[in-house]
Amino acid sequence: MSLFLASLGFGLVTAAVLAIAAVGFTMQFAVTDVLNLAYGAVMIASAFVAYSLNQAGVNVWIGMLAAAAAGAAGSVLLNQGIYTPFQRRGSAPVTMVIVSLGMTLIIEFGLQAIVGGTSVSYTMSQGPTVKAGGLVLTTVQLVIIGLSVVVMAGVHGLLRYSKLGKAMRATAANRSLARNCGIRTDRVVTLTWALTGALCGVAGTVFAINNGSFGATSADLFLVVILAAVFLGGPGQAYGAMAGALIIGLATEISAAYINPSYKDVVAFLALLITMAVRPGGVLGATA
Amino acid sequence: MSNAQLFYVINLLIYAGVDIIACLGLSQQFGVAGVTNFGFIIFQAAGAYTAAILSLPSQSANGGFQSYIGGWNLPFPVPWIGAMIVGGLVAPPFTFLVGRRLRGDFAAVGLLITAVMANLLVTNYRPLLNGSAGLSLVPAPLQGKYNPQSQGYQWLYAALTLVLAAAVFLLVQRVTESPYGRSLRAMRDNDLVADSLGKNLLSLRAAMLVLGGMLAALSGAILVGFINLWAPSAWGYAETIVLFAAVIIGGAGSHRGAVLGAILVPVGFEEATRYIPQFGPPGLVQDLQWVAIGLLIVVFLWFRPQGVLPERRRRVGVGGPQVKPVEMPNEDVVTLAGSPWTPVPADAPSHDGVVVSGAGRPISRSARSAASPDASPVLRTVGVTRDFGGVHAVAGVSIEVRRGTLTGLIGPNGAGKSTLLAMLAGTIAVTSGQVIYQGADVTGVPAYRRARLGLVRTFQLASEFKRLTVMENLLSAVPANRGDTLAGALRGRRYWRRDEEAAIARARELLDRFGLSGYADTYAGDLSGGQRRLTEIMRALMAEPSLLLLDEPMAGVHPRLARQIGTQLLGLCAEGMTILMVEHELAIMDEFCDPVIVMAEGTVLATGTMAALRARTEVVEAYLVG
Repeated sequence: MSLFLASLGFGLVTAAVLAIAAVGFTMQFAVTDVLNLAYGAVMIASAFVAYSLNQAGVNVWIGMLAAAAAGAAGSVLLNQGIYTPFQRRGSAPVTMVIVSLGMTLIIEFGLQAIVGGTSVSYTMSQGPTVKAGGLVLTTVQLVIIGLSVVVMAGVHGLLRYSKLGKAMRATAANRSLARNCGIRTDRVVTLTWALTGALCGVAGTVFAINNGSFGATSADLFLVVILAAVFLGGPGQAYGAMAGALIIGLATEISAAYINPSYKDVVAFLALLITMAVRPGGVLGATA
Repeated sequence: MSNAQLFYVINLLIYAGVDIIACLGLSQQFGVAGVTNFGFIIFQAAGAYTAAILSLPSQSANGGFQSYIGGWNLPFPVPWIGAMIVGGLVAPPFTFLVGRRLRGDFAAVGLLITAVMANLLVTNYRPLLNGSAGLSLVPAPLQGKYNPQSQGYQWLYAALTLVLAAAVFLLVQRVTESPYGRSLRAMRDNDLVADSLGKNLLSLRAAMLVLGGMLAALSGAILVGFINLWAPSAWGYAETIVLFAAVIIGGAGSHRGAVLGAILVPVGFEEATRYIPQFGPPGLVQDLQWVAIGLLIVVFLWFRPQGVLPERRRRVGVGGPQVKPVEMPNEDVVTLAGSPWTPVPADAPSHDGVVVSGAGRPISRSARSAASPDASPVLRTVGVTRDFGGVHAVAGVSIEVRRGTLTGLIGPNGAGKSTLLAMLAGTIAVTSGQVIYQGADVTGVPAYRRARLGLVRTFQLASEFKRLTVMENLLSAVPANRGDTLAGALRGRRYWRRDEEAAIARARELLDRFGLSGYADTYAGDLSGGQRRLTEIMRALMAEPSLLLLDEPMAGVHPRLARQIGTQLLGLCAEGMTILMVEHELAIMDEFCDPVIVMAEGTVLATGTMAALRARTEVVEAYLVG
């Protein structure tokens, strides 16, 4: 039982990290129809921005804000500079995936060329351990969960109640129709990429914190987990991605307690393949 | 040359051969058939591991320092053959990813992730293939009889590799230049349309996964026989990207391009960095190499997406071997003298949707008396409904299309006309209701099989195969060409030449009739809007339909040409074909269509002649006015 509870705690933390990442990924797909495989590379690049500040003595949580800014700037640049021009030309979705893979190599190994191939860690305190209802978590882990809840609430508020959120949903549903209705879709897309890029930067930092140590290629496997959560919830569905993140996060960590932990990502992979085979539109998020 | 230099040259030749074979396999899958197999490296790994465990002695006999399954100590060439068989067997489980339902980019991502995971599993599970350390001391072929270290042996190995690479080139070339290869390229350009013309996408893609998988496995087997070791680090997912870079840079769709790409990227790139002095911290040059691969992909896709050696245009040629058309017996059809097209008799004996005909396929069957317009319905629907997330696009439509008629289908935008047409052709599934074609319930029959039964549709939006010439577009629709199967394609041109010539003759006559003879060798993507529509109609006719479903065939066509098309269509109906046509132009309906079905808001409002419809107020209110 304690094994289960311990893994449940880990699962919640992983789900929290995953939710931030998956919501960003799925919203990028929603407004631009690109499966941005370079997302993991941008995550880690942002985490290294936080790392460089952290090395200079800045608190990692403040570094996270810088990572968010870097993620936002990088993502907007990626979309405006690379993806949008290709799409204007009418490139097929498959071509876009190939382009995004090319960008993954460029960002990931470009980063590795700068920071080197060794893993690094943030200098930070894990804080006192907190026990609640049989769960044992560090303060940092609690903060990550809290942060994720706040981000999810923020995304919910944005999508439901703000004008920008409505414009995003309209753009996601039908871009040309949205434009004809007077929505400045180009601006909406740019703002979405800025916002999701910020989420990507935050996700990268909390992923790095949660992982303990990280290197330039650390997010390769995590991208698989993100994709599993996104597809489980239905690509492009923000709420679906949240639910998918919770399920995949718990499933991978709880299974890790009972099988070889090296295989925990295989659970996510199997969920992804089964979703693709059975319901490519997603299992959870039929509504948006 | 010193021995070291010679060894280097041999090394280079073998690597080139291996990469050429792998790139040709990927070129066949991705460049020709449009199957974006991001898991390609799995197949190479499967081949290498299979060859290794087939040729290795059992693990205890091998010192016991590595653990692996198998270890059968089999003589050459069994390990290579076994590798190819396993490479082919790995493919079928992947077919659900590349089947009809999944978006191409989703399938590609699924395959990529499968590659990542396969590598993870093999790395972490040691008993299977010795985990991350990999297999070493893999015996070289025939190493008991000859000394693999000798220069003679190595030259022979290089020669064998290059001979195999040449054989693979001839093989993929033969497949690609056949009618089957044309079907693959049609699927690559527009899979939905290929489906509607009778191409079984699942079987085409599965065949490509198997063929490409076998070639990848062969390349792996050759490689492991030479370097004698194989480990997970040799087949990271990124290695697939290198091969993609090679195919894209060489020229997707062109096998010569794939050969060039293999020499430029995996071979040339690896070798070039050997001569760069190592600088910076360890690993820096390698990192920059990956960055360069990424840059090459993005830059080429932007500046030269067709690659260095683009796919060449297949010209049938005006001055080429002109095929004498078979005599037309139905010269007496007044509206269309010399019509090359004769409908398939509705009651033609058929097996599995393929119309049976004699060898050599007569271009035209004997003329039949035109069916009387009030004959039995060719097509009937019973309460057909289609919901899109709660919206009833089509709600309980029951119509009849009688044989030999040119039936019109009109209605305001959003009336559900195109949805109905798509359901009739099987492009989209019905939510409820039945589609009955020639007395048989075809509701559950997939689109490609309906097409083979003679139920052929066109699309509202231009749907030409862009990178096929007009002639190839037409030929792609011909059913039951002997060369339109993988086996037929492999038997070579001689086997299918007569079918092809007959089809070309038929296509030429259609081109003459529609006034596009001069465009036979033009890429369909370069045509004007009107010409594309004509190409699409001709292509549908090449599929020998008995019931032709046309979705706004005259949209964007000059009015005079539209009237000519109408006349042609009437002529086809007089010969016994049945046509159901969606059209907005009422003048066309007035002149050519009888009866006309009016739809509004997903239901049938009225059916009758245009004159009768114009007299009915509800029809006029719904559509004719405003």
